[in-house]
Amino acid sequence: MPPNQASEPPEPPPPASRAISDAVIETSALTKVYPGNVIALEGLTVSVAPGVTGLVGANGAGKSTLIKILLGLLPPTKGQAKVLGYDTETSGETIRTLLGYMPEHDCLPPDVTATEFVTHLGRMSGLPPTVAKERAAESLRHVGLHEERYRLIGTYSTGMKQRVKLAQALVGDPRLLLLDEPTNGLDPAGRSAMLDLIERIGAEFGISIVVASHLLGEIEQICDHLVAIEAGRLLRADTITSFTKASQVLAVEVDEGLAQLQQELKARGLAVTLAQRTLLVPLGGDDTYDVVRDAVADLALPLCRLEQRRHQVEELFRDEESQEHV
Amino acid sequence: MSEPQGAAGVIHDLGYRRYDGPRLGRGQIVRALTWHSFRSAFGIGRGVKAKIIPILACIAICLPAFVNAFAVARGNPRLFGYDVYSPQLRVIVVTIFIAAQAPELVSRDLRSHVLPLYFSRPIRRGDYPLAKYIALTAALLLLIEVPLLITYVGTIASSKNGHGVWDETKALIPGLGVGLMWAVLMAAVGLVLASLTGRRAYATGIVAISCFLTWTVSEVLIQAEGGMYSTSTGARIAGLFSPFNILDGIRIWLGGTSPGEDANPGHFGPLYGVVGVLLLAACLGGLAARYRKVSRA
Repeated sequence: MPPNQASEPPEPPPPASRAISDAVIETSALTKVYPGNVIALEGLTVSVAPGVTGLVGANGAGKSTLIKILLGLLPPTKGQAKVLGYDTETSGETIRTLLGYMPEHDCLPPDVTATEFVTHLGRMSGLPPTVAKERAAESLRHVGLHEERYRLIGTYSTGMKQRVKLAQALVGDPRLLLLDEPTNGLDPAGRSAMLDLIERIGAEFGISIVVASHLLGEIEQICDHLVAIEAGRLLRADTITSFTKASQVLAVEVDEGLAQLQQELKARGLAVTLAQRTLLVPLGGDDTYDVVRDAVADLALPLCRLEQRRHQVEELFRDEESQEHV
Repeated sequence: MSEPQGAAGVIHDLGYRRYDGPRLGRGQIVRALTWHSFRSAFGIGRGVKAKIIPILACIAICLPAFVNAFAVARGNPRLFGYDVYSPQLRVIVVTIFIAAQAPELVSRDLRSHVLPLYFSRPIRRGDYPLAKYIALTAALLLLIEVPLLITYVGTIASSKNGHGVWDETKALIPGLGVGLMWAVLMAAVGLVLASLTGRRAYATGIVAISCFLTWTVSEVLIQAEGGMYSTSTGARIAGLFSPFNILDGIRIWLGGTSPGEDANPGHFGPLYGVVGVLLLAACLGGLAARYRKVSRA
């Protein structure tokens, strides 16, 4: 039973919606309710443009459920999702030939070499044997694994394993990559190397990428767009610039008179919040610095910290929530 | 930061090459996975350690066939029927083979959580267990049928005339059929048990203990009820406790005459057939259900 050479792939009809929309992912009123009435996604309507898009949300926000629906592995309870113009419920297999997926968790067998493993998964992506071998070597080179690729995966560091996971997603020449928490478990240097790699793939390989993460501060460096979800709902979808502006805050710390300063800043029209012993002030522009400086000077308080901060996405959500309740 | 427009069309010269050639369809991907699994059932493409048990199993099960060839060459009649071969040896070798190799096919992938990578590719949920099942069935078929073919060749080599060859061929064909039955049922039993756990040692233990224990219980019960020539109902149905005795019962029901295992179904033959089919269905259903669960996890 030798593996047969490639013949005609099942060529799906070109999707009708391609002409109308260029979005790589489109969902409309997407709802997923798990047995036991657990709502994972609730009326999610979002459109993702080509390029690098961050999908942010706290753990349990519905990111993984969304990814499974996009892969065509989980039928939505209501609504629909389209990936590259194909419906996830009817064209799951077609979508999966066009998609590369890097799971969040460890998914590598320790007792094979990276080359063997990626080659095998290339075959599973539908590549003929020799092509799979070539592309596996290339993918591993692109992610920065050279001679190491002939070693058993069990001997790799966490950073190298993450690279192998990325290489197996790339091997089938996808049009879209879904990366689930690609920097999980990496040290700071490993994180920035992985982010550089993702940015390069998006910019230079011409592959659209969706990066799911709970660390906004991290993926905002490499994304063109951001989609934020919370509790299965769309919180916000926007370009990165408008997004991070909202997420920037000024952290103010004083040795004494914290409550006094809070009062004063409120009086001067800033939406100040207290986080432990730090006052957080949304950064509107350069004048915000001036207002804080003046307030501290007028009250003659000992200022010990004034720094610009970026929210982690959880904090951003807390702010959005508190604004909603106001 | 990348320009979305640029990203869609232009490929910069960084050595990244697109692939626009032919892609295999789902059926061919499943075939590739089956072939890959079939090879790993014999340790091919894996380390030296993975080859030890398959090789020893093949040698052990072929020994009687060579002894037979030697005996026939010296003028003796064929030593055993094709439909039973060397019954106890076959039970032991098949049990060891599936206990070692079924976990190789399924537990490894479960242990290292590789399945999401398969399910995010253009195959369907049931394709993975199907490929594994076909692969192990084919591997068992090879393990069981090759000794029969060696026996056949060894016997006809000493045959004086065409009539002898024809008789041997007529005897061989039902034997091959019994081998097929064994492969189809035991591959399902082995895989469903091995897929219960990702821990390979446990999986091996579960398969080996289940096969040996049920066989022992069944044999003891048959002996307790008066042995294989007893006509008591107890002795007749005690074979149903072991897949091996079920297979042997079906063989006898279908007309096998050589003494094999201790099963002696008598007029309960059809019951053995039904239980065999139900056992197969339960194992395959269990296997499919197992992987439906995994892919959602």
